[in-house]
Amino acid sequence: MKPGHRARKSRGRLSPLTTITLVVLAVALSAVAGGFAYFLPAAATALQETGQAVTIVSPSPTSILFSPSPSASPIAVSQGAFTVLLLGSDDDSKFSSDHVLTQSMILVRVNPATKEVTMLSIPRDLYVHLSTGGSGKIDGAYSYGAAGAAIATVEQDFNVHVDDYIWVGLLGLIKVIDAIGGIDVVTSNPVMDDYYPADVYGGDPYGYQRVAVLAGPQHLDGIHAMQYVRSRHSDLQSDFGRSKRQQQVLQAIRLKAKQLSPSDIPTLAAAIGGEMKTSIGLDKVARLVPLAATFDNPDAIHQILLLPPYARSGAPGGSLTPNWGLILPLVHQYFP
Amino acid sequence: MISRFVLAVGLAILMAASSVSAYVYLGSRQSKIAAPVQKPIAATPRAQAFVLPGTIYLAQAGALYSFSAGRFHQLTPEVGWTQPALYPDGSRLLAVKRSGFFSDVYVLTPYGGVVAQFTNNAAPARTSWDIATNAWSFYPRLSPDQHTLWMSYDGPKIAGAGYFDVDMAVWAVPFGAPIKQGKAWTVANNYTGGDVQPVPVAGGIIYTKYTYDQDGNRTGQLWFTNRAGSAGRALTSTGASCEQPALSPDSATIAMICTYQKQVSYLTIASWNGSSLGPLQTVISDQLVAQPAWAPDGSGIGYLAPGAGAAPFQLWFLPKNAYAPPPPSPVPTPSPTPGGPHNGPLPSPTPSPAPVAPVVKPIQVTTNLGFDATSPLAWLG
Repeated sequence: MKPGHRARKSRGRLSPLTTITLVVLAVALSAVAGGFAYFLPAAATALQETGQAVTIVSPSPTSILFSPSPSASPIAVSQGAFTVLLLGSDDDSKFSSDHVLTQSMILVRVNPATKEVTMLSIPRDLYVHLSTGGSGKIDGAYSYGAAGAAIATVEQDFNVHVDDYIWVGLLGLIKVIDAIGGIDVVTSNPVMDDYYPADVYGGDPYGYQRVAVLAGPQHLDGIHAMQYVRSRHSDLQSDFGRSKRQQQVLQAIRLKAKQLSPSDIPTLAAAIGGEMKTSIGLDKVARLVPLAATFDNPDAIHQILLLPPYARSGAPGGSLTPNWGLILPLVHQYFP
Repeated sequence: MISRFVLAVGLAILMAASSVSAYVYLGSRQSKIAAPVQKPIAATPRAQAFVLPGTIYLAQAGALYSFSAGRFHQLTPEVGWTQPALYPDGSRLLAVKRSGFFSDVYVLTPYGGVVAQFTNNAAPARTSWDIATNAWSFYPRLSPDQHTLWMSYDGPKIAGAGYFDVDMAVWAVPFGAPIKQGKAWTVANNYTGGDVQPVPVAGGIIYTKYTYDQDGNRTGQLWFTNRAGSAGRALTSTGASCEQPALSPDSATIAMICTYQKQVSYLTIASWNGSSLGPLQTVISDQLVAQPAWAPDGSGIGYLAPGAGAAPFQLWFLPKNAYAPPPPSPVPTPSPTPGGPHNGPLPSPTPSPAPVAPVVKPIQVTTNLGFDATSPLAWLG
């Protein structure tokens, strides 16, 4: 063989070490690419719906714009306690999408150090000073200025600091519960309602349907869990009773969510898509997910309802009059 | 030495395989919490399924199933069937068929064929504009003489805007007669959901009444009444929050669940003397127990509870030894030493260590199914 031919042939071949290095690199890169493709839809949804900027609406002419990342009061999820405002809305076609009422408002204080969670349900009919000016039922705050107005109203009236919020629409709750395969709940009594709104799948936003969620331990899918937490006509405690049921369902969701794995994220994201907004950024979500699994002591979950004498009926338009003299010390105790 | 061309082709194939494998692997690591449940007739019988005597009737996804000798048989299509109950002579079934606005009691053959529709709770056409004129019937039971149908029923009521209370009362209707001939036996507490789960017993009925306790919490209580129009007498406290009573085959014990107003559900039993309950004995406290039912031969209690992992409600069986351990074998008494007269004290027998009773655990009979935990089990011997 001629020397020049041998040299050309040698240039066309690679040494074993180079070959092995290339193979390892190629396998690693392509595996990462496969993983990226798997999580891409979830990441797109998450980027769209998390880390929502919040405009704090206050009566003062200057509005403060803050984005949670970087946040005005960053959540040190690994050490410090933080407060999240959960908002649930009737986002059916009775309302335009930006002007919905928040039928459910729950302040949640999470303390990673002590593994304690406190949930305080704010009655939707509570008559308060709104951050946008004037007074009215607290469920209207969101409709006047979205999450920012709801947060500012809660902060100014309850004298608490809210770090983040999560807003979920009716369909969002149904989809979340279905995406985790339903929840197991002990319903304390038969929840019967002859005038339950048929606005989600009924086709008529002003129509009604009959509901009978029977009592006892049971597995609820999204629709029936929604019926359980939303019905209030056959409850002597009306919105208070409903708040109690909402907290039960939140606990059941938390219990079920503990069994999720990171591989479930794309399915969940696809299910929730468009039905949830939060100011919590992706980075915080990543830190909160492993934290959630460590909260496993049911006795460390405190549930607070603002029943009479904390709030009494008799305010304008069927609203509830808050007894701030009792509410504020209670809030200060659990939401320092 | 490998040629560059071969390497490039090899790497391309390897990279494609690797990325697809990573994608598939991540997909396979999804939790099974949202996996659809199996249909009972598709389930492979487990060895544990053969411990159960007789035939159990239960409901899943709007269909009724019978379960005997380890196998399920589908009795009805998935169209809202629930709450099967046996005729006392075991010849037929009662069951509820539920639709969006009302539910009715039917008589079925043991194989699921409809024999008769007992109630007609759909609103008459002239009032169909007001959905509240429909009615619910749940928890049907026949009296031991098969002459009276007991059920929970929310009609007749004042329908119309502004009247929102919907409560069921326990009704007794001559079996086969129109509901107009029936009579409300209990008076439900307002805004509680009412009185449910009647169980005919000698001299009256035991049922679950929902009420508001002194703190304003709604809670269940077992009650006994022996005459129409009277609430009767509470058998359990509001704090224990007990419901879903089931009478043992010898009529001496009641099984129930008690939730103590929390998100727990304990299997509880108590002796029954015909008018009052003995002390409550918690038998299972680490499961979300629903719908206890006694085995007809008294060998244990069947119930529904979530399965291992995230599985919805499965069929479980608790053998009798778990709650009524057999009495210990008698202690040996000293016997005279054989071999003639004996002076002095008799030697005491060497005490043998007390046998340690084996811990009897509940048996999970099914997996991957999803039974309706609001539907009582009917168990035929």
